[in-house]
Parts: sequence; structure tokens; C-alpha cells
Amino acid sequence: MTSRALLASLAFVAVTGSALAADPIRIGVPVGLSGANSVVAPSVVQSAELAVEEINAKGGVLGRPLALDVADDGSGAAGAQKAFDALVFQKKVNVLISMETSAARNAGLPIVARGKTPFIYTSFYEGKSCSPYLYVNAWVPEQQVPPIVDYFNREKKAKKYFLIGSDYAFGRGMLSFTKAYIEKTGGKVVGEEYLPMDGSDWTPIISKLKSAGADAIVTSTAGGAPNVTLTKQLRAAGVSLPYGNLAVDEGTAKSMGTDAADIYISASYVTGIDSAANKKFLAAMSKKFGADLKTPNDLSVPEYEGVYAYKAAVEKAGGTDPQKVLAALSEVSVDGPRGNIKMNKQRHAPLTMYLGQVQADGSVKVIQSFPNVDPGAQCPPKS
Amino acid sequence: MLIVALDAVTTAALLFVISSGLLIVFGVMKIINFAHAAFVTVGAYAALVGARLGLPWVLVLPLAFATGAACGVLTEATIVRRLYQRPLDAILATWGLGIVIGQIVTLIFGRGVQFVQAPVAGTIDLFGVDYSAYRILMIGAALVVALIFSALLNGTRLGLSTRAVIMNEMLAQGLGVDSARVRLVTFAIGSGLAALSGALITPLSSVDPNMGVPWLISAFMLVMVSGGSLLTLAVSSLVLGSLQVIVSTFVNPILGGLTIAICAAVVLRIRPEGFARA
Repeated sequence: MTSRALLASLAFVAVTGSALAADPIRIGVPVGLSGANSVVAPSVVQSAELAVEEINAKGGVLGRPLALDVADDGSGAAGAQKAFDALVFQKKVNVLISMETSAARNAGLPIVARGKTPFIYTSFYEGKSCSPYLYVNAWVPEQQVPPIVDYFNREKKAKKYFLIGSDYAFGRGMLSFTKAYIEKTGGKVVGEEYLPMDGSDWTPIISKLKSAGADAIVTSTAGGAPNVTLTKQLRAAGVSLPYGNLAVDEGTAKSMGTDAADIYISASYVTGIDSAANKKFLAAMSKKFGADLKTPNDLSVPEYEGVYAYKAAVEKAGGTDPQKVLAALSEVSVDGPRGNIKMNKQRHAPLTMYLGQVQADGSVKVIQSFPNVDPGAQCPPKS
Repeated sequence: MLIVALDAVTTAALLFVISSGLLIVFGVMKIINFAHAAFVTVGAYAALVGARLGLPWVLVLPLAFATGAACGVLTEATIVRRLYQRPLDAILATWGLGIVIGQIVTLIFGRGVQFVQAPVAGTIDLFGVDYSAYRILMIGAALVVALIFSALLNGTRLGLSTRAVIMNEMLAQGLGVDSARVRLVTFAIGSGLAALSGALITPLSSVDPNMGVPWLISAFMLVMVSGGSLLTLAVSSLVLGSLQVIVSTFVNPILGGLTIAICAAVVLRIRPEGFARA
């Protein structure tokens, strides 16, 4: 009897053991499927789906397949709390990899710390978010602003700048960094104006701009509508100064038509990057999604690379143990569409930044690339 | 200084065009149509569709008006008609309807921002300053809207019946005026005007499912202050619009965004009938 019981339990262990071996590694993707981010979120999910499919087709990670759990964070703090709670404590995901609003990220961080779950944040943001569980593979102001300002200083001989933004954390954060950088490089800010996030009439600001005698404009509005209304009204008012826009993405620029022409943008990803890795990625995306493809962009490509970074870290750590994975994340590098990326600078990554100029047909022409722009001291160790 | 004056006049024109539909509905029915913002949005999308079909601008505007008026007829017949005796419920119902319309627009066109090219681009030289040509055109648009609707109200049979209903509905009914029909037509015209204004602002703004909402509070305040006639609406648009521009220019644009609401509250506190002759 005992031997039979032993045999049965051995068989049981064998069965469950093999089931455990095939147990998927779960990746949580809290993302703004509704709310402000809902325009870009589908492209982020598509990126994650492609990365997971590619990795699973090649045998997964340490023999285990990857599985995605996508949750809607509503683009804000309240939704993010629910999404993170569900992913971390109910779905028990091994890692969170996602692009989110800053409000959603900040709401999620305490939950991530409680669940001791690594979190790879794949959205550019205002910088200096320093949870030990958080890694960032997208740009911060220190990386995005200098290409535009340096270019205007050098090529356009700009001395006097006018800054326009939406009145919220990201808009003000970006422009206060921009102002400091302009002053550091010898320029002068002759005006800095903000409109509430839902404001759509920029007339008084544009009138001030026209009388301020500026050589160049840098704007950082909320994405979507405010950006579009500002650009249209600038053009309607006949403003043709060099115009750097910190918040416009390639897709929006394309749909704006001729109004967007000559805008300068600075990004770590544009579809026109001339590399084999990028062409392979774009071909794989259009093969997988066909007509439903959402154009890959600066917010969705880091998601794709984030999944690969996690794969590399798990392989280096020899398992999904959170502390070991967190340690490994700063040591592994990923060769993706944006080039070679390693999150080794205080959990942030040096990136190649591209200065692009929007053409009359809406395409973005890369004027210059700035390799390995350092994120600066984002999270200096406390002394 | 000239630029500030131009900013003020064109802003007033914009505000007038957007508020006039709300005013007409409020004047006749004494209810505030909070779906106004949604009808503005509907008009903008009608303009978008018209522009995509390649219609000339002079046909896009009537298309927007007709779309808005059709939505207005549907709304009046199904929802608003039941709520004339309950003005507060009407606010709630039309606010909800606005959300529904916004979501329907999202389902059809997506959440993304869309664009309509302006019929006139660039600037014109006015008294020595370069100024946005389309904004100047808005002054003309406001005048045309004002003229057509004061002619409609003061020179036609419908206008006569409408004024009768405004003054004393019971008496008008007793004299054989079909007040239900007057209300239906008025609501349709108000909604059509909202949509027309939506089409008119597309060249200055983006087209997205919530584009009408930021205008709603200003429009609502202006209508409250104006007390019910097109003339006083024009006066209040000019006064409060200019104040908004002045505050935005000389103080800061964030406070500028609050100016209309605050000034309207102050005006109504001091003089409850607003700009209307008592």
C-alpha cells in the first residue's frame, strides 16, 4: 500500500512538475486603453504582442512561454491602482512592462513595491522617478531637449526663445528644463506662457509671441488636441519661426498636413531609422497586424524592447526571482529597433536621439542623430 | 494695442457664434441645453466629412447646420419634449445625452484628433499688422449669424409665434399658436446653429470627440448674463471676451480662462438681469 501511495505521489509530482516547467512567465501590461492615452495604447499592446510571439516561437524564456495580461489603467491614478492591484496580487504577474501617464505610474509604484514586482516603464517622462523596482528605457528631458536647442543655437543662430506649454506636470517640467538648458547654453528666454490643458484658444499667447521678438519657439503641450490647436493657430497667425515641438509624435504630425511642415521634433524612435533591426521590426509588425497595424512610435517601440530586456534579465538571473532580475536588468542590453539599449545609468538608459524635421507631406526627415545621449543623474545614490 | 483689440473683437465673434444656438433654445424654452457642446462637435465632424467628400466650404456649412438641426429634432421629440416642466432634469438629461453623443462620435470616428483645412490660410495686413485671416473672417460670420437670426425672429411668421410663446405661452396657445411646433423648430434651429459654429471653428481648432466641451461653460455663462436676446448676447460676448483677452495678455492666460466665469458670476450677483434691459 505504502509503495503504491509513494508511486502515485511520485507520478503526481512528475505530472505537476512538468506542468510547472511549462507554466508561463506572466507579463502585466497596465496601459491607458481608455482616457487620454487611448489613442496610443493599441500600438503599445501590439508591440508587446509581437515581442511575446517572437520569443515564444523560439522556445520562450528558460523553456517557459511568455503570457501577456493587459489591463486598462484609465490613463490616470484611480484606474492604475485597480489595474496594478489586479495584475500584481490576483494575476500574480512576474513583471510589469508598460507605457503609462505619470499619474498612473506614480499610483502604481507603491503597489509594485508591496508586491516586490519589477516594473519596466517604457514611456518618456519628466524624469527622476526612483523606485528600486522601476527601470526606464525611454527618454527624459536631459535627452530630448538638447538636440533641438543645440540645433537652433548652432544652425538657426537662435538667441531668444519663446516657450509655450500646457499647464500640467509634464508640460511645465519639460519647459523648466528647457529654460535652464537654454540659459546654460547662452540663450535667453523672452517669454514662457501656459494655457490650461483643455484650453483651445491660444490667441493672446500668440499675440505676445509676435511682439516678443523671439528667434525660435519651443512648445510642450498635452498630446493631441492642444498641440494641434496651437500649431494651427500659430500657422494661421503667420508665425514661421523655427519651431521645436516636444510633444508631437510622427503620427500626429502626419495627420496635421501642411500645418505641421517644418516642425522640429526630437525622439528616440522614428519609423525612418535606417537600420536592419528597425526594418526587420517594421516588416514583422506589418506582417502580424496587416491592415490593423497602428504605426509604431516612440511610445510603442520601447515596449517591444522592454519585453526583450526582461527576457535577457531572466536568462542572466537564471529565473524570475525579482531581486535577481532587478540586479540583472542593469547589466543586460537589447539590440532593438532603436539600437543597442542598456539601462545602466541609475536604472535609466543612454539613448540615441534623432532630430527630425516634418516635411510638407507629413513624413519626418532625420536631420541629425545624437548617439548615446546620457540621461544624466536621474537617481543619484543617497549619500 | 491694435493686436489686443483685434484679439478681443475676434474672440468676441467666436464666443457669439458658439453661444447663439444655446441662447435661442434658452430664450424660447427656458431650458439650458447641455448637449450643446455635443452638437458643436457633431457640426465639426459634419464639416470633416464634407471636406473629405471634397465639398466646397459654402456647402460644408449648410451640411453642418442640417446635421445639427436633424439631431436637434430627434432630441426634442424623444427627450426634451417631456422635460419642459422640469428644467433641472432637462439639464441632467441633456448633459447625459451629450456624453452619449460624444461616445457615438468616438465609436464612428475614433478618439484621435482629426483635421480640416481652413478655407483661407495665412494672414492679412490690417492697419499695418499681420493678422490671422480666418479670425477676421469670423467677425463677418458672427455678423451674418446675427443678421439672419434677428431677421428670422423679427420679420417672419415663425418669429412672431416664437416671440409670442416667449412672452406668454398660455395666451399664445389660446390664440391658436401651436407652441409644441414652435418649440420643435426652435430647438432644431438652436442645434443647427451649434453645429454650424462647430464647423466654423474647425479651421482654428482640432476635431476630436470632446472639442465642444471647453466652450460650453463660457457659452453657458454668456447666455445667463445676456438674459435672452441676441443683442445683449453680442454685448456680453464683446465685454467678457475682451476682458478675457486683456487678462490673458496682461496677467496670465490661465487666469484668462477663468475670466468669463468669474465676471459672469459677479455681474449676476450685482445685477441679476445681467446685460438685459430690466
